[in-house]
Amino acid sequence: MTDRYAIDLSVRPGEDLQDEEMADQRGDGVHGSSFDMLRSNDDGASGQAMRSIEGWIVLIAGVHEEATEEDIQDKFGEYGEIKNVHLNLDRRTGYVKGYALIEYEAFSEAKAAIDNMNGSKLLDQTLACDFAFVKPSNTNDDRGRRGFSSRSRGGYNGRRSGRSRSPGRR
Amino acid sequence: MRKPPKISSPKTHLFTDNIFSTMPAEEFYVRYYSGHQGRYGHEFIEFEFHADGRCRYANNSNYRNDSLIKKEMTVSSLMIKELKRIIEDSEIMKEDDQKWPKKNVVGKQELEIRYGNEHVSFETAKIGSLVDVQGSEDPEGLRVFYYLVQDLKCLVFSLITLHWKIKPI
Repeated sequence: MTDRYAIDLSVRPGEDLQDEEMADQRGDGVHGSSFDMLRSNDDGASGQAMRSIEGWIVLIAGVHEEATEEDIQDKFGEYGEIKNVHLNLDRRTGYVKGYALIEYEAFSEAKAAIDNMNGSKLLDQTLACDFAFVKPSNTNDDRGRRGFSSRSRGGYNGRRSGRSRSPGRR
Repeated sequence: MRKPPKISSPKTHLFTDNIFSTMPAEEFYVRYYSGHQGRYGHEFIEFEFHADGRCRYANNSNYRNDSLIKKEMTVSSLMIKELKRIIEDSEIMKEDDQKWPKKNVVGKQELEIRYGNEHVSFETAKIGSLVDVQGSEDPEGLRVFYYLVQDLKCLVFSLITLHWKIKPI
């Protein structure tokens, strides 16, 4: 699997976000199916790991409620520099919710971490590790998106002035 | 008693009409909406997860010319499994919104979960803090909702922040 992906904030047919006037004529901001998506530029099968905007995100499940970012760093730092850690807390108890999301820059680092750490133990709990994001099941498929077209939605009638162009479109 | 699913009005929601269109073998679907009509138009956040990993997020405010953000991403089966665990552990499926505060001018929240044979759909007012929970007629149930929603939002914001390198709100 290659590490190189182009980022394409895709705009679907009939949904040119640059055309403010068209959007205003339609009279709503959620018309159609213009959900931004990251696209990979290879033809990898659906379900394969998907690159995020700056790297590869690994999900760690089964994280002990008393685990710390340092524990994660110690175990997972071995496979590459961890660019970001989200070790979210349970809002009720204040303890770790049970999962962590970490970011590696390179696919090979993330893959090595997953291969080595999936099924390993941290504070006596078995971890499950995998990529957090995968390629969509069918990128060209409009299934489930039809519902968005010709939807009107009260409340903000085309007041979409000031929408700036999405960053990163090439 | 399990109440019958309430399907919210299609006028208000981005995602509602997709629920039945893409139902895979194992039924699982989560949607959360929180919003109101106000000085800055229809301000809301909404997100949904499908069993196949498709996750959509939308957030609109016209405050200071902010505009609609719509993001779609696909999460792995492990992520969906973790989401199911969070929902299961919360025991939200046992709750009923009958005694919860009704939506009002401040706005409303909706949480819809389809999991296995069960389909629940909650609608309630916005909850400012635990004080609102304690003062309600069903503090135990509303507390479950209150914390689950925060945990779900926390997860979604992490996913968006990491995937897109934007602050979702």
